[in-house]
Amino acid sequence: MVGVILAALGVWLMLPPVGDNLRDRIDFVEIIPVFFGMLAIAAGLWAATRGELKWGWGAVLAGALGIVLGIMAARGSMTDHQAVFVWSSLFAATLRWATPLTFAAIGGMFSERSGVVNIALEGMMLAGAFFAIWGADRFGHWLWGIVTAMVAGGLLALVHAIFSIHLRADQIVSGTAINFLALGLTGYLYIDLYGAEGTPPDVSEIPSVHLGFIEDVYFLGPIFGQMSLMIWVAFATVFLSWVVMFKTPIGLRIRAVGEHPRAADTVGISVYLVRYCCVTISGILAALGGAYLSIGFVGSFGENMTAGRGFIALAALIFGGWRPFPAFAAALLFGFSSALARVLPEYSEQAALLFETLPYVLTLIAVAGVIGRSIPPAAIGRPYEKQ
Amino acid sequence: MSTPETPATPPPQAPEQGEPTTWTARYALYQRAGGVITPFLTTLLALIIAGIVVRFTTGESPIDTGRAIVDGSGLPWLVPSSVMDIRDVANTREFWDTEELARNNAQVNLQQTLTIMTTLILTGLAVAFAFRCGLFNIGGQGQFFLGVILAVYVGAEFSGIPRGIHVPLALLCAALAGAVWAGIAGILRATVGAHEVISTIMLNWIAYWVGSYLFSLGGPLQSDRNREVPISNDVQESSRLHVWWPDPDHIAGLHIGFFIAIGALIAFWIILNRTTLGYEVRAVGYNPEAARYGGISVARNYFLAMAISGFFAGLAGAVDILGWQYRYGQIDIQQSDIGFVGIAVALLGRNTSIGIFFSALLFGALLTGSNTRNLALPIEPELAGNMTLIIQGLVVLFVAADLLILYVWRARRKLRIPQRRARPAET
Amino acid sequence: MSDARGDQAAVPVLELRGITKQFPGVLANDHVDFDLHRGEIHALLGENGAGKSTLMNILYGLYHPDEGAILINGKRVSIDSPRAAIDQGIGMVHQHFMLVPVMTVAENIVLASEPRRGGMLLDYDAAVRRVRDLASGFNFAINPDSKVQSITVGQQQRVEILKALYRGAEILILDEPTAVLTPQEADELFAILQTLRREGMSIIFISHKLREVLEIAERITVLRRGKRIDTVPREGATQDALARLMVGREVLLRVDKTTAEPGEPLLTVEDLSVVDDRGLQAVRGVSFEVGAGEIVGIAGVDGNGQTELIDALTGLRMPESGRVLVGDRELTNANAHKHLDSGMGHIPEDRHRRGLVLDFTLAENLALHDYDKQPFSRFGWLRPGRMVAGARRLLKEFDVRGGGPQTRASALSGGNQQKVVVAREVNRDPRVLIAAQPTRGLDVGAIEFVHRRLVEERDEGRAVLLISLEIDEILSLSDRILVVYEGQIVEEYQPDVTEQQLGIAMTGGTRKDKEAAA
Repeated sequence: MVGVILAALGVWLMLPPVGDNLRDRIDFVEIIPVFFGMLAIAAGLWAATRGELKWGWGAVLAGALGIVLGIMAARGSMTDHQAVFVWSSLFAATLRWATPLTFAAIGGMFSERSGVVNIALEGMMLAGAFFAIWGADRFGHWLWGIVTAMVAGGLLALVHAIFSIHLRADQIVSGTAINFLALGLTGYLYIDLYGAEGTPPDVSEIPSVHLGFIEDVYFLGPIFGQMSLMIWVAFATVFLSWVVMFKTPIGLRIRAVGEHPRAADTVGISVYLVRYCCVTISGILAALGGAYLSIGFVGSFGENMTAGRGFIALAALIFGGWRPFPAFAAALLFGFSSALARVLPEYSEQAALLFETLPYVLTLIAVAGVIGRSIPPAAIGRPYEKQ
Repeated sequence: MSTPETPATPPPQAPEQGEPTTWTARYALYQRAGGVITPFLTTLLALIIAGIVVRFTTGESPIDTGRAIVDGSGLPWLVPSSVMDIRDVANTREFWDTEELARNNAQVNLQQTLTIMTTLILTGLAVAFAFRCGLFNIGGQGQFFLGVILAVYVGAEFSGIPRGIHVPLALLCAALAGAVWAGIAGILRATVGAHEVISTIMLNWIAYWVGSYLFSLGGPLQSDRNREVPISNDVQESSRLHVWWPDPDHIAGLHIGFFIAIGALIAFWIILNRTTLGYEVRAVGYNPEAARYGGISVARNYFLAMAISGFFAGLAGAVDILGWQYRYGQIDIQQSDIGFVGIAVALLGRNTSIGIFFSALLFGALLTGSNTRNLALPIEPELAGNMTLIIQGLVVLFVAADLLILYVWRARRKLRIPQRRARPAET
Repeated sequence: MSDARGDQAAVPVLELRGITKQFPGVLANDHVDFDLHRGEIHALLGENGAGKSTLMNILYGLYHPDEGAILINGKRVSIDSPRAAIDQGIGMVHQHFMLVPVMTVAENIVLASEPRRGGMLLDYDAAVRRVRDLASGFNFAINPDSKVQSITVGQQQRVEILKALYRGAEILILDEPTAVLTPQEADELFAILQTLRREGMSIIFISHKLREVLEIAERITVLRRGKRIDTVPREGATQDALARLMVGREVLLRVDKTTAEPGEPLLTVEDLSVVDDRGLQAVRGVSFEVGAGEIVGIAGVDGNGQTELIDALTGLRMPESGRVLVGDRELTNANAHKHLDSGMGHIPEDRHRRGLVLDFTLAENLALHDYDKQPFSRFGWLRPGRMVAGARRLLKEFDVRGGGPQTRASALSGGNQQKVVVAREVNRDPRVLIAAQPTRGLDVGAIEFVHRRLVEERDEGRAVLLISLEIDEILSLSDRILVVYEGQIVEEYQPDVTEQQLGIAMTGGTRKDKEAAA
């Protein structure tokens, strides 16, 4: 672990603002990331021989990567760096990108903790995105958009629930079907209702919250001083979900249902009811994420605008071990990669499209590196048969 | 010392409830029991619901829409003139003065249906093969793109090679590219247990963006001649697949890729049922634990199943390019969803060769029939296209709900089920 | 013994009248009557499939009876869910524990009746306090904060009992409680039951073990094929008489066999150490040999390394150190495939998960090990015809009923399925046959078959390694008995050892003695 941090440190040093200073003072400035990278590799190898395989090789990888990236950063033009790595705006962007992921991941947590795999976060998010715009447009206010989105997400989730719980269909197939359905339905309705011009440009959007007193604080000011309401709601959701899941009787029962449904049944907990509720909640939350995407962030709707984010959210959940705070951290990580992808084209216009793959590659690596370790709720994915 | 008695007939017992059987085991059940009827019912139900949606959202008559789609698909051409005037099938007497004109139009449409069906067979097989091993390959779209990219590259960049070499070379490269792309997910699943659903979807999007990049303005594969449009070069004449219907002189028509698809169907069956590899794949699909105990390497089979799966999908991409598209552009990348339809095709076709044949035909007809150029009635084209998307979703949904239909079906027939259903654990 | 019973006069605390339950194809309970006096321990005896569990599941609200009535203290009640049963004061300790492994003891016990703080939050501290009070009241030593997955099986069972007590149970149902316990733990359990009885608890004890039932119960009701056969008091009842009631015919309790004359060692295990899934040492430096023509039985309580040992011996898990040899061929680091090819046969302990591919036909299942060899295939090309022909022969030879070579394995009964597994293994002519829990879940007839077959294999000169949790089975079949405890072989006995002695060894008693003496 130390190795990974060292490597990251090496790269970071190359970038503004610290890089500026170093450049002026040291001639062969590339040596810094190389130095840190070597340390990282050494630490990694040491850990690997001790049996800590994942962290060990991870550190070696990070070290190598750090050396490469660090050298690139050192060689790159300072002005480019300064344009790209405005840390506070990067961080703000990270929060913005991460919020839809956060909502969906927390939603997924409820569903999966109760034992139902929810591959359909993507579809529920998309439905939320569309119906938020529609609701805001139709009823004039963004609040209605949110309500409509929640209803849509909830209904979609209910369908998933009926098929997965009552009819005991395979939960992954059922989830995939919901995704198809959402894609088709939203696409269809989008063309039908908004046709060629697209959604109206003046749809009521989710407001930002002004916090005057923070606005001038050095680093945090630009980020938190003027942040969308939904991001605050996301924070609250993460905290609340933690409380509910781990500090209330309801959370205990949900977890019991997900680990050992028969045990829960024999003490009188209704497995079906708990699962239905949890799946519906996951739909509502995922839809909220989508709603933020359309009326809080982008301001319009496009076909298939979620672009796989529902799955990234699922990966974040798994990465975070089905717990709210770690999942939120993972969502931040993925959000960061999206933010970076937006900003990196400064270096190379041409490769802009390639940078778009960044969040997906990162997710792939995360999924590859972590999954073997994460332990899901024991009874997940298996339909419960009451006798 | 008394000798042991011969054992009396064991008392009839309810066999104990084992671990919940894997879900692919349940699917395997339908593959033999209720094999034809339930897909039929499923499709029917899906069409009915889709019809309701159409009526509800646009006010148009679903029957008319349905007829228009049938007409657009060209299927009525199969009905001989002696049986019925083709114009009555789709109620198009107003548009065509003679039956012959209608027939020609239908012929063209049918060729298109079969062309799409070719691709669908291959993407469907891709999903199906993985399914048989217990894996859900949603990455067909990405693997398809890889196939397209390689086919465009090999097809366009190499000139002066005889057709006999160029075509197989392009096909092979494309299929291998697809195999590699899927193989990544396979390896991840085999080694660290990363779920293939997530990894294939990520790979899909990566392929999407990489492809967009390659064909973008100034991108590596962008056309040399036409620098204004983000589109690739045309593939060489020597790499193109001949048209065989109506005849090789025509530019447009059904190409021999159709036979490649049929060949793939046969190969699919042979591999699964007549080779040791297929035996292993099926065993792993039904019960990985038992397979392991039997000495089968589950990891190896996960990888191979995904790789073969990707092979089919990559081949699909190549067949499309070399058969009729001849080039590929950014727009095509953004609009393509043939891989996803493949999922529905496989599920509806119950992951069997015969099933996929008919299922691909159905979806091919639906897709062609709702295509803008073919519709005679004034239905907004994008609407009809999205209706197909809805149908796909519904089909997948109802395939998953097959349990219900099967359950009802059996209850009426007073059960001859294997005694594996919910039973008490007796002690 | 009669202190609590004296005051109940006419009304039994529980009465079941004419309970009938039909499942598709099986009449599980056929007009069964049953009654329970207050403060009594009443045993429910029967074979697998006799209907004992069904009856109790009905009582606990997990099933609904088709006919019949339940009366509690003379009043007719309707129990349609476990919650209702709990409300009526009925508690059940299931055979497979209904405990969530990753949660703590306290969490498991208070689940669904959690103490709250401020209405919404869970008051975990109060839960711990209550559990501690409850446990000490009955003299249970249990730590409410430990996770269930880290306490012993005996303790887990006590948690299950506490769960029932926490909810105010007055009638306690125990379903095969000693299936997972050593004789010592079983004795402790019986002591607990007596304590509970003195406190006024009425207990129903389900079992198929004759010995136990005679030890603990005051009355014994025997079920056979869904019908109540008889209810007898403990005085005057004998094992033989009970067995006859249970099965309806003379039952051979021991297998007939000649003495063994072991030949050269066919299976050699040297200083084997194996690590389990969690990275802990499960098998520590185990060494033993099995010679040709002998049956070696490994006895032990579940969870002492047997599973990992079997995995290592069959190539499903790589040992950390040590050697495994079949004959003179080293198989230590070989995979399962090589093990099978080197003359090892394996009857796995869970036929559904590991022994059979339920959706394959019998022919395909019978070919599971050798599908890639002649005659079933050639150069990768499968030949189903050969598979079917070979299967037909085997099915006939082993008298497998319920289908032919093309029938799906799932259609067969448990006993016949096991026959298929045995047929496959035996037919391959292995030199070493490893049988893990070979008669689990089987009825008496099937058990007899399997036992006979194992002895036959032994007589043909094979080396048979039997690993079982059933002491009776070990004692009856083995020529030599090894006892495994915490991953080590602690003792070796001859088949004339007493169960008492075996039980002590199985719980590490002898090892402790040795350590104390050293």
